[in-house]
Amino acid sequence: MARFYLEKGKVAAFIAHLQSQKPVYAPHRKGRNAFAFAPVERPQDVVLDYPRTVSSIKKYFMPAREELLSFNLVENTCAQPAVAPLDAVFLGVHSYDVQAVLKLDHNFVTGNPERNYLTRRQGALFVGVGFTPDRFHFSGSVGIPAGDTSGCDLFLHHCEGGYALETLTPAGEGLIAGFKLPAHTAGLPAAAAFQQHIYVPQAKLKDVLAHGYDAAVWEEEAEKCVSCGTCNLVCPTCYCFDVEDEVDITATRGSRERHWDGCLLRSFTEVAGGEVFREEPAARQRHRVFRKFKYISDETGEPWCVGCGRCTAACTAGISIVSIVNRLVNDYDAVKA
Amino acid sequence: MTKHELIAPAATKDLYLPVMAEITDVRQMTPLEKLFEIKLPGGVALGHRPGQFVEVSLFGVGEAPISVSSSPTKKGAFELGIRKVGMLTEMIHRMQPGERIGIRGPFGNGFDMAKFKGKDVLVVAGGIGLVPLRSMINYILDNRGDFGRLIICYGSKSDTDLLFEDERRLWERDPRVEFHLTVDHGSPAWQGRTGVITTLIPGLDLDLPNTLACVCGPPVMYRFVVLALKSKRLAEENIYMSLERRMKCGVGKCGHCQINGSYVCQDGPVYHYPDIKALREAL
Repeated sequence: MARFYLEKGKVAAFIAHLQSQKPVYAPHRKGRNAFAFAPVERPQDVVLDYPRTVSSIKKYFMPAREELLSFNLVENTCAQPAVAPLDAVFLGVHSYDVQAVLKLDHNFVTGNPERNYLTRRQGALFVGVGFTPDRFHFSGSVGIPAGDTSGCDLFLHHCEGGYALETLTPAGEGLIAGFKLPAHTAGLPAAAAFQQHIYVPQAKLKDVLAHGYDAAVWEEEAEKCVSCGTCNLVCPTCYCFDVEDEVDITATRGSRERHWDGCLLRSFTEVAGGEVFREEPAARQRHRVFRKFKYISDETGEPWCVGCGRCTAACTAGISIVSIVNRLVNDYDAVKA
Repeated sequence: MTKHELIAPAATKDLYLPVMAEITDVRQMTPLEKLFEIKLPGGVALGHRPGQFVEVSLFGVGEAPISVSSSPTKKGAFELGIRKVGMLTEMIHRMQPGERIGIRGPFGNGFDMAKFKGKDVLVVAGGIGLVPLRSMINYILDNRGDFGRLIICYGSKSDTDLLFEDERRLWERDPRVEFHLTVDHGSPAWQGRTGVITTLIPGLDLDLPNTLACVCGPPVMYRFVVLALKSKRLAEENIYMSLERRMKCGVGKCGHCQINGSYVCQDGPVYHYPDIKALREAL
């Protein structure tokens, strides 16, 4: 659509302009080296140049804990709590995290559309921002360049002295209406290259994964894995959950709550009587990687991993999803070459 | 990624909201298993197929998938055979007629009974696997003319945990049913057959092309039953099985029941054997 020049010195005013319209969520510094999305209180606290946040913005549409039902134990009745649309601006989102939301949309729209997710998702606008890939990012290998604007309403491209603000949707245009900005006429600097790569084109991944079910890499990586489930917790496209009932101290009321769960945890497949269907850590490793590159991908035709690098950056045992996939590629090439 | 049209929340269903149903009868079947008769408000039909399950819940305790044990031909109420294995089922076992319990569903595919029409049906049930298969057995008995032979192979750990005693005695006497029973370890009083369930299969006289087998039992049982059926020369295409997994949400979201890429709560729990043969986590 159009491009405007947003100089660094005007960013706080720009954020304040967004805040005058809707609540704004943006990355903030958390501790010394971590970043997290949080509601913006003071525009100057927003950090637009960051490697990655600990969790993605998934936490706003599918909170880590949420009430599905509230119940009254005396009356033996229950009710569904009202969920409100967030109707907010998500500012400073990296391309892979915007794509991750679109993937979650797929999971929550297809089959049985889910009300809580779809309600929270209403009215959300995305203002993307470019980033410099670090040693964990590899979204370029899964079809998401660092400057990918798809799914965004506005996008902030880094440029000399500030940002080239690109409008992408009528809603995005509406957000900047009334905020005076000069046009950006210069070209955009080339996006920084990725340091991490999956060695094959996306199209070939399907064959690689189909071939890799019994690969040695599962056992080898599983030897390091401590089954902590951190990779699941930080993944922007993981959406599996568990449901538990909580009773308050009066024992008359309570709620049925869902919380994020993870397929790397041993208890994930446990059924009544104690049988565990993915008992071996290697089987759980494979399940996670297959969920990201095969099972959903075979149906949708695209990887369900967005290349954010969070699982690798956060892994307590140093397991890298890129290395796993590249090992599978090598195995495949060794046989098929 | 293609953008999805976001469906209006008002157009979604109450996925997680149970209906409060009344327990109308409780029968102790064994020390561990009870059969509960449950009536939905107004006596409306559950509308299930044999092989489907419901999510049963008690507020403050939790929710679990339980297969429906009665045939859809039973009107006004449905039945759940529940083994006491954990906190939720322990609490359900303490419930009395007149008390109310939360029900969601039915969920899952169930058996496509049209495929079984005119066929000889071989039911292979191990232990509590008889609970879901009883729905199919009674469906066949209530529509007897639509099906060929009904052969039931039922194996149990011991004679003290045999289920559905009254019905079992009817099946034993019913000339329309070929009923075979074995227990792994009989008590001193046991006069019937002893041996694991697979020992019942070699002696069966089957019209192979016209026989469809339905298998349900503990996880360890499936591969041995399949082996026994295959040595009997029953084609893989003629084998169906109902699998147990942790179907927490029942609506294809929570992820717990996945076998490779298949959600058991959506694609199962009934599977055609040739389809899951390739799913390495299935059996």
